[in-house]
Amino acid sequence: MTSQQESSISTLSSEHRSVIRLQRAIQVGLRARIVLAVAAVAMLLSVVLAVTTVAVTKNTLLTAREQALTTQALANAETISGALGSAETADLQTLLGSLPQGGSPLLLNAPLTPDSGKRPTTVSVDARYGIDSLPAEFLSSVVQDRNNAVMRFRYDQESLLVVGVALPNSAASYFQINQLGDIDTAIRSLSLRTAIAALLTTLVAVGLGYWASKYTLRPLNRIRDAAESVALGQLDTRIEYADYAADPDLAPLVANFNDMVSALQERINRDARFASDVSHELRSPLTTLNASIEVLQNARELLPERSQQALDLLSLDMGRFTQLVEDLLEISRFDAGAVRLELDAVALVPTVEAAVRMVANTSVPVEADPALTDVVIACDKRRLMRILANFFDNARKYADGATSVTVELHQPDHLGIILSPPTVRISVEDSGPGVPEAEREKIFDRFNRGDQGGSRGIDLGVGLGLALAAEHARLQGGSVWVEERHDGAQGSRFVLELPMIEPLEADDPEDLAAVTPKEAETFALTGQMPAIRLDEASEPTP
Amino acid sequence: MGTKILYVEDDHRIRGSVKLALEDEGWQVNESETGEDAILSFGRSPTDVVLIDIMLPGIDGFEVCRTIRRHSDVPIIMVTARADTHDVVAGLEAGADDYMTKPLQPKELSARIRAMLRRAGPAQPGNPHLQFGDLEIIPQEGVVSRDGIQIHLTKTEFRLLVELANTPGKVFSREALLENVWGHGVFGDGRLVDVHVRRLRTKVEQDPANPRHVMTVRGLGYKLQP
Repeated sequence: MTSQQESSISTLSSEHRSVIRLQRAIQVGLRARIVLAVAAVAMLLSVVLAVTTVAVTKNTLLTAREQALTTQALANAETISGALGSAETADLQTLLGSLPQGGSPLLLNAPLTPDSGKRPTTVSVDARYGIDSLPAEFLSSVVQDRNNAVMRFRYDQESLLVVGVALPNSAASYFQINQLGDIDTAIRSLSLRTAIAALLTTLVAVGLGYWASKYTLRPLNRIRDAAESVALGQLDTRIEYADYAADPDLAPLVANFNDMVSALQERINRDARFASDVSHELRSPLTTLNASIEVLQNARELLPERSQQALDLLSLDMGRFTQLVEDLLEISRFDAGAVRLELDAVALVPTVEAAVRMVANTSVPVEADPALTDVVIACDKRRLMRILANFFDNARKYADGATSVTVELHQPDHLGIILSPPTVRISVEDSGPGVPEAEREKIFDRFNRGDQGGSRGIDLGVGLGLALAAEHARLQGGSVWVEERHDGAQGSRFVLELPMIEPLEADDPEDLAAVTPKEAETFALTGQMPAIRLDEASEPTP
Repeated sequence: MGTKILYVEDDHRIRGSVKLALEDEGWQVNESETGEDAILSFGRSPTDVVLIDIMLPGIDGFEVCRTIRRHSDVPIIMVTARADTHDVVAGLEAGADDYMTKPLQPKELSARIRAMLRRAGPAQPGNPHLQFGDLEIIPQEGVVSRDGIQIHLTKTEFRLLVELANTPGKVFSREALLENVWGHGVFGDGRLVDVHVRRLRTKVEQDPANPRHVMTVRGLGYKLQP
């Protein structure tokens, strides 16, 4: 099941992958959401508080100022009203100037009626303000409608307050203009301070939210670690239920997680047992068949010709059947997670040469990068041989055999160098029909022979060899693929890429063996040699 | 006098067919169905090679191996169902010289048996007498003694020791030892060498945990300390 999932993932196109990556980037994590929510609430509250504070303060200050000024203006108006009958314009000027200062007094000593025919006299003590400074509506309310009024307005970029008094028993009006600049300044300063306070509050809230989310999510992190460890093949991983039993939110999650892993473990163990049972059941009759055919082959000359032909067919298919069973068992071991990587310090080039000698029927040249001459890497040499054997097998079946083998050092480009360590690439070339672009991934699937399948006679493979090669490579942190020949000639080039990993120095050569699948996975992901323990089975028995 | 093989296997079809194939090689095959029978049979008639299947009813292949090993240094090949189980190491610890996995390929089995028989024969001419501290080896006579007391080694252990002793101080990789002592290629199972070295140490070293003769060379292999 796992491998099906894996293969479906691996068939995703790169576009799909980048879409998924993009979605991941846009999606906000649980933690970020908590932080954002806390920060948003804190910001909202502090902004509301700040705005209210500023508004209330402004209102209070203005009301107080308005009252004080109105009282004063009324008193001043009374003074003026008394002196109005007798005084001349010049005296009025003096009079206005002598009033208790509450602003810039202004006297309009005439009705502004259209039929009066006489221009109104305006007396002002402050040259900046005249009758034109006042808003027209306000002016007419006081001058024509004879109301007393107070108004705030802006003139010449100043915030002003005007108190208008229609003097009793006279057509004249008294206006007192006051500057509110000081209040404006105070409010501005207050606004700035409250804004800073709101900002600080929000920042504190972000910190608080971060801490709170960390605290809240800590149990989830443990669950995540456990899940990760299970995913890496550590199937005996469990979360201590007792730690969560008191938590009604997490306890069911933990219990379900543990149940799930138990079920998974049981299933995998059962599969592994099944593979082992099937293995034994199939191997026994195969032994009998192989031995019996061998005996018949030894006496081949004594058989009639037709029987000889039948025996040859039997032998041939027996070999095929044995290989199929071996491959099936091997692949079922991969599926059951029952494989064991045996990493050795391997002298790369001589080992590849030896493997090629072993798997090639004829002599095939091995060309190795001189830089690799004395290189020793950590690698499972028997799996290396199996991969090469499968490449050669494939070349035999579809392309009249391999023509050359190259061993190269591959340095990732400058950008990649931090992420990926250098690798070695072992390529097997043939001069067959080549593999069409569309088939290049598919031929590593199980029981897929590509378009060439069926085009040959008796010796077709069963299509597991390349799938197994891929598994063998993956287990060692490597990969396999097929491409065009680099020299442009007709044919295909099967490549095995292995991470170049320094072998671990061990006290005993045997310490280098026996790596669990989980360790192998770590090894594959990080390129770090796992700390290797002695295989418990190889501990000396007393 | 023909070569005599004792073959212990409970499945009579396998036993019958493999017996036929081995007889085609000109060897005489003595069958046993159970471990008990095999031990009795081994005691009754001289045997050159023993072939034991691990999965047996009654006493298992390991026990048969241990029992025979207590009395004899006869070459023993274990037959296991799978190569990646504990069986291999356990079989070697029990005293087996080599192992094979099912399905047995008769040609390969014959080749292994021939290699065993060669090993069991007289040693190649080399140094007639080797002395390493308390350890004395006389290859021609197949004699090893420590402090003058003769030590009993199996044929394979003896070949391994002599291989190392013929070039004292030279480091032998596991591959080289597999090839020279067992006749396997580069891709043989290194566990074969490791377990035999361990077994050898328990016999020739004063303190097997701190060997002074058969030394491990980090990451490279083994050597005999001159």
